[in-house]
Amino acid sequence: MGNLYHNKIAQWVVYVAFFAALAIIPNMVGDSFLLNQFATYCVYGMLALSISLCWGFGGILNLGQGIAFGLGAYGMAMTMQMQSQTESNPIPPFMLNNSLDYLPLLWQPFQSTLLGLILAVTVPTLFCAAFGGIMFRARVSGPFFAIMTLAMLSAFYTIILDRQAYTGGVNGLTPPSAFQFAGVEVDPYSPTAYWVVLFFLTGATFLAKLITQSSFGLVTQAIRDDSERVRFLGYSVAGYETVIYTISGLIAAVAGCCWVMLVQYVSPAQMDVGFSLSIVIWAAIGGRHSLLGSILGALIIQGAQSYLGDTFLATWLLILGGFFIVVVRFLPNGLASLLEVALGLLARPDPTSSPAPDGGRPLPAE
Amino acid sequence: MDLGSLLNALILGVSIASIWLIAALGLTIIYGTAGVINMAHGELIMLGAYSSYMLQFYLGLPYLLCLPASFVVVALVGLALERGLIRYLYSRPLDTLLATYGVSLVLMQGVRLIFGSDPKYLAVPEIFQSNVMLGSVSVSAFRIVVLLVTVLLVLALWLLFYKTRFGVQVRAVMQNKEMAAAFGINSGRIYMLTFALGAGLAGVAGALFGVLAIVLPTMGASYVVQAFLMVVVGGGSLAGSVVASGVTGEMQSVFAFFTNDTLARFIIFVLIVAFLRFRPQGLFAQSGARR
Repeated sequence: MGNLYHNKIAQWVVYVAFFAALAIIPNMVGDSFLLNQFATYCVYGMLALSISLCWGFGGILNLGQGIAFGLGAYGMAMTMQMQSQTESNPIPPFMLNNSLDYLPLLWQPFQSTLLGLILAVTVPTLFCAAFGGIMFRARVSGPFFAIMTLAMLSAFYTIILDRQAYTGGVNGLTPPSAFQFAGVEVDPYSPTAYWVVLFFLTGATFLAKLITQSSFGLVTQAIRDDSERVRFLGYSVAGYETVIYTISGLIAAVAGCCWVMLVQYVSPAQMDVGFSLSIVIWAAIGGRHSLLGSILGALIIQGAQSYLGDTFLATWLLILGGFFIVVVRFLPNGLASLLEVALGLLARPDPTSSPAPDGGRPLPAE
Repeated sequence: MDLGSLLNALILGVSIASIWLIAALGLTIIYGTAGVINMAHGELIMLGAYSSYMLQFYLGLPYLLCLPASFVVVALVGLALERGLIRYLYSRPLDTLLATYGVSLVLMQGVRLIFGSDPKYLAVPEIFQSNVMLGSVSVSAFRIVVLLVTVLLVLALWLLFYKTRFGVQVRAVMQNKEMAAAFGINSGRIYMLTFALGAGLAGVAGALFGVLAIVLPTMGASYVVQAFLMVVVGGGSLAGSVVASGVTGEMQSVFAFFTNDTLARFIIFVLIVAFLRFRPQGLFAQSGARR
């Protein structure tokens, strides 16, 4: 028997059990405020998942995941804002405050909820496809790509801050009423909102899991380990990198939409460098080579952060930073690799296999 | 078209360029030599400002002496950082980026816990607080001090790298670490010293920025992305960073003259990304292979 950690059936069992556990939370938690909190953690989990997919499995360190998240969030906030505008009052109040007395072209598609939702998801995804495509074809990779994503993130941050009449500037957008879809209002504090978020988290996780276990996922992992060799084998490295980066952006965009649905608020802070880096921290501490590990990293870190509250925030961030350094230094694959080692010790060594199978870190499916 | 105010913008551009350059100098040394992406650079700048503040407040050190003193203090912090953490990560560039981000969190929150979140101010001699007329342009005297310090530091670094034995060793390690080691150069020691030097330069920048802006635990975060882009556009060499800061500083000032500050910054970010798409190695690529 090999290491249970690498056993695909065992992995799927754990995944199903994890999401089943998440699914019974609304039955356990009566407090609607707490349920809303849990739902936002699930959104953070989705973000960590998207980073795990492109960084842990594709080797692309993306410090600008806030771009896709923020664009998705702004798209959703614009849709929700337009839902509360009526025929007689078609222009959002903040625009009037900025002496804009007509609805800009940028905002007009968001009058339709369906079109707004489609745009909120497709615009960031297409941006990732275009940006990734251009960069990866120029063979920009590694730390260099990370810096480019930082630059791009800062660019979006400044333009949103600057175009106050269109984006609400530093105040952001605060849609006054809850999201309505097909005549139904999705109260952010209701179990319905939680179910919606959980549905997307589960869907994204199973999609990501299937991708990593497919032959496509194997190639991306090979690119992560040695992109030159894969290129010499005749694969289009840029193509694979673009696709995995785009899928990751798509997941982040959906997370952005869910987040605004839950908190009814978006501001440039969601495109702050610090927020995008904290997504990377969740995935790194949880274990970037494990989708579930990354999600758990986000849930635990964000859960602990809000549990400790604002009074201990400085101390908490100090501890988090120190812990992060220790993880990067001694446990590059995060806490999930501890489980991998522990299960490996439990597994009986197979006498037929060649000795020292761990010599060059065999390619795990997870 | 008002030529006079465009001239103003150009003169202001030199000042902006000197600020960006001094923020990027330390990073250039560290990235250029060891290839380390030091995300804690902004916090080292912040530490420079706080050490000047402490020296002034507790020891009553005159401001001009605070500059070299901050260099020493932050260089020692950099030395400890390199010995304690960075040296284990030279073979994992992405992990140095992450670990130094952890360091930046620790430094920022540590300073916040010790000094609180309220702003501190650095006192400067009277003469620096006045304005100086340069032709038709009124420039704050302190911005000229920043410019002078930047020029002096660039000259000193050029002398250090191109006219001393240490400089030859650094450039040898930069070009080929193994070959340099084969010739008896202790590359670990070179990395350690360059990291300390780069950190010290951040300290000087911090002592200057503490006067230009207020001293806050979060003050470093606003410089780090900007400084990185200067280094990457320049290609990691000293001359590259000088040219990159000069050009982008002027562009920032001129674009801001036609639009506004934030929009100018946006245009520059986009232009830099487009530039690096076509020239990923930067303006002046390093000779020799690294890694």
